[in-house]
Amino acid sequence: MMDISLCLKRPSRMGDSKRMRMTSNFQWLLLTVLLLYLMNQVNSQKRRTPRDLKCITNNLQVWDCSWRAPSGAGHGAAYEVCFENGSHSCYRLEKNVKIPALLPGDHEITINPLHDFGSFISKFTLNEKNVSFIPDVPEILDLSADFSTSTLHLKWNDKGSVFPHHSDVIWEIKVLRKKNMEIVKLVTHNTTLNGRDTIHHWSWTSDMPLECATHYVGIRCYIDDPQFSGRKEWSDWSPLKNISWSPDSQTKVFPQDRVLLVGSDITVCCVTQEEVLSAQIGSTYCPLIHLDGKNVAIKIRNISASESSGTNVVFSVEDNMFGTVIFAGYPPDIPQKLNCETYDLKEIICTWNPGRPTFLVGPRNTSYTLFESFSGKYVRFKRVELPTNESYQLFFQMLPNQEIYNFTLNARNPLGQSESTLLVNITEKVHPHIPTSIKVKDISSTAVTLSWHLPGSFAKIKLLCQIEINKTNSVHELRNVTMKGIENSSYLAAVDKLNPYTIYTFRIRCCTDPFWKWSKWSNEKQYLTTEAIPSKGPDTWREWSSDGKNLIIYWKPLPINEANGKILSYNVSCSSDEETQSLSEIPDPQHKAEIQLDKSDYIISVVAKNSVGSSPPSKIASMEIPNDDLKIEQAVGMGNGILLTWNYDPNVTCDYVIKWCNSSRSEPCLMDWKKVPSNSTETVIESDQFRPGVRYNFFVYGCRNQGYQLLRSIIGYVEELAPVVAPNFTVEDTSADSILVKWEEIPVEELRGFLRGYLFYFEKGERDTSKMRVLESGRSDIKVKNITDISQKTLRIADLQGKTSYHLVLRAYTDGGMGPEKSMFVVTKENSVALIIAILIPVAVAVIVGVVTSILCYRKREWETALLKHWK
Amino acid sequence: MLPAAGEPAAGDSWGMLACLCTVLWHLPAVPALNRTGDPGPGPSIQKTYDLTRYLEHQLRSLAGTYLNYLGPPFNEPDFNPPRLGAETLPRATVDLEVWRSLNDRLRLTQNYEAYSHLLCYLRGLNRQAATAELRRSLAHFCTSLQGLLGSIAGVMAALGYPLPQPLPGTEPTWTPGPAHSDFLQKMDDFWLLKELQTWLWRSAKDFNRLKKKMQPPAAAVTLHLEAHGF
Repeated sequence: MMDISLCLKRPSRMGDSKRMRMTSNFQWLLLTVLLLYLMNQVNSQKRRTPRDLKCITNNLQVWDCSWRAPSGAGHGAAYEVCFENGSHSCYRLEKNVKIPALLPGDHEITINPLHDFGSFISKFTLNEKNVSFIPDVPEILDLSADFSTSTLHLKWNDKGSVFPHHSDVIWEIKVLRKKNMEIVKLVTHNTTLNGRDTIHHWSWTSDMPLECATHYVGIRCYIDDPQFSGRKEWSDWSPLKNISWSPDSQTKVFPQDRVLLVGSDITVCCVTQEEVLSAQIGSTYCPLIHLDGKNVAIKIRNISASESSGTNVVFSVEDNMFGTVIFAGYPPDIPQKLNCETYDLKEIICTWNPGRPTFLVGPRNTSYTLFESFSGKYVRFKRVELPTNESYQLFFQMLPNQEIYNFTLNARNPLGQSESTLLVNITEKVHPHIPTSIKVKDISSTAVTLSWHLPGSFAKIKLLCQIEINKTNSVHELRNVTMKGIENSSYLAAVDKLNPYTIYTFRIRCCTDPFWKWSKWSNEKQYLTTEAIPSKGPDTWREWSSDGKNLIIYWKPLPINEANGKILSYNVSCSSDEETQSLSEIPDPQHKAEIQLDKSDYIISVVAKNSVGSSPPSKIASMEIPNDDLKIEQAVGMGNGILLTWNYDPNVTCDYVIKWCNSSRSEPCLMDWKKVPSNSTETVIESDQFRPGVRYNFFVYGCRNQGYQLLRSIIGYVEELAPVVAPNFTVEDTSADSILVKWEEIPVEELRGFLRGYLFYFEKGERDTSKMRVLESGRSDIKVKNITDISQKTLRIADLQGKTSYHLVLRAYTDGGMGPEKSMFVVTKENSVALIIAILIPVAVAVIVGVVTSILCYRKREWETALLKHWK
Repeated sequence: MLPAAGEPAAGDSWGMLACLCTVLWHLPAVPALNRTGDPGPGPSIQKTYDLTRYLEHQLRSLAGTYLNYLGPPFNEPDFNPPRLGAETLPRATVDLEVWRSLNDRLRLTQNYEAYSHLLCYLRGLNRQAATAELRRSLAHFCTSLQGLLGSIAGVMAALGYPLPQPLPGTEPTWTPGPAHSDFLQKMDDFWLLKELQTWLWRSAKDFNRLKKKMQPPAAAVTLHLEAHGF
């Protein structure tokens, strides 16, 4: 506080007090009274001097000092205020004084009330530390509102030109809502005073649409001048300015058609003159927040993503309803997998994945802009409807002589934007179109020229094309062709090492060097190569006719890879030292020729011809070298073929020929033949014609210089089966204790395997009783005989009972199984000796019994007679 | 009541309807119908009646799909919004006495004019729809409605009535201005579907009445026409 000293304007009255010190007690009393009087006088003097000097400043340049006037000073009292500030300055004024800001340090100020004789002069010591700095009330220049975004814009002047030096300023802004002035925002805003008047802006977005209620804004400031050592205080609040919406007569809901982020909060209000009964978002009812008048609002928290037509908010009044649509979605995701490539080096196609769905469709859907920074060109993409699985793509026309492209793909929707970049050397990202117009042209029977069209400006790059060659029943082959690119043209490639007269399927795909992607495979092009002369003569065999006069020559059709074309005819010639016989132009389907020859040594030659020429002749000798040491052997195959073996014969110089035929056929019999090299000692004969259960004859011939010699004759089956019939059997002789049975052989066709034996079953039994019984070898009353000697054709069954019926069964078997059975009932003859004995024994017994009885009866009568005689 | 979102009609039904529409569209041009001794307008009235009933069925499915697209509360069964911006839509509801007093020509003319307007609005709806599937359904229904319009024109021609000529400049257009909010647009869409349904219901009654009238002796028709909600 200020130090205050008082000076009496008139002479002191201290001389009166000296006369009062008389006696001690009285003195003390008097002293007390005096002290009280003096204090009263002092206070009285205090009250009669200016006091409580207070200085404040608004701008740090002028101090506004005021004091409390002396008691009794009338209104309009004048004062002389003097102070030292380098020079002595005095001001005459009424109540307060504005003085220029004083230098730091203490300054003495005297305030002398003028024209008041009862008052005293006051002296104050004034220091800057005792001065309060209270800035002027800020003035709001403008308060405006953007209703569409619910944003308030505040504008004010800092009046910085008033202040001598730079200072930090804190602005405090308050936003009040509704007529009852609820504070909804209190915020500080820092700026700096820079010696000039500066206009400041502050914007605030309301969580509630501004149309819903009146919003008020006030501002105050606090200037933190670093050089001012006094007390700094906040300014007063500025007068409030308000923003309110002037509703027309219609009820309205705010905000309308707002797009916002999923998960955010929003307040929706209904500005109305009617009583709102309910509010709902979608199908969910919400509690009403009452605003001024009948306006209401609802608060929606953590809103979820909208369906494609938006989320409906509806306010219902008694007979009407009002609403708005909110679109809750996401800003566009960063475009993913951005890829730019070209098909033809004319146009670049950029594709991408939009990432997370935005849930915004139609006019709020994401728009994409593809910008190329080197050229400054761009293309736009706008999709109206909700994309399904379609890919996002944009086409960018390539620029002449530009290979490097720096693309930026910008995605934008009402909620934000994102972008993805890609730097690409487009000559390294060529994905050629599918080759078209495939054509094939002959070079020779083993080479063709392929041509195809590939659109694109490939003049400066190399192309690598792949030709796939497919042949029926063969693995496909790939051949690579490198070629220089041409501008929109056809390309040619020769394909060699092909087979004559063969159907090939070609298809082509291409890529560029350096490799990026293969084109799709072109359509297939089928082509038949031209014919060439047959590469080999046909496989030939010969047979003498059964009468030995004619030689029948057989040959097999050439396989397609040896025929090299369509075989039109065959030429056959038989030449010996003396003569040559020829048969020309035997048309193709015929693979047999017959020539009348004597048994001399001929060389038969067969040539196949197609449209280009004749094959080399295939030759075979007609002579057959006899073989006396020949046995017929048996062989059984493995189901699909039969293994034949023979001993190595050094005399065989050409090859071995195995021919076979069905054994039931008449001679000359030939189904097929097979040639095997002369160093072989075995071969497996396989043929689709082989059937199980059929007997085949196999003949192994060895080729010598002079001709062929039959080395082995084999009968065999590829698979044995059980006989299909039972042997026919008859009873040759019957006695009282035996039966002689005889049977016939089963024909080969019905035997279906090599006969391994017969099974003969017999048992006692009548025709009627046993005909249903099954003969089983396990039964004890059935007797079985296994006849393994297949040459045996009769069987005598002994130790039978006379005049008894027997059931006889016979069946044959092979390694393929048991054949069916044939049965017969036979009755053995009667035994005559036993019959006689059977008659004689009872007769003899009866005679003996009669004789004995007669003897006994006679003896008894004699004994009775003798007894009677005795009694008598 | 509001129809629930229904399954789309089977493919053979679409085909049958398309065939029916084609036949009816060309009905006025069939020379056989203009010959002396032809069966008269009876068969074409019957076919128009059948087509109306079929369109009623088809609309039930379309309205279900479209109201689901508009979202709740538009697809709720008891939703009954005020008819705010839909005043330009032709109203199907009419006082019973007024309806009874209509003659055949007026009856047919009103039907023809109503469907001409509704078809135009429906095409606008189609352009606004955000999903491709919805646009396909709407386009298909527009084709069917076009068929009905042709069919009504055929009946009018058979009865010797001239077709109403639209006044120049009165052709309804679909121009949602910037002030037309999405919510009001949805309300209009809702009312368009509702009016369509009411019109089809009314048309079925109209053609049934006409059909019976053309079959002497005409049976007495008792009809209660009243405000008919979804």
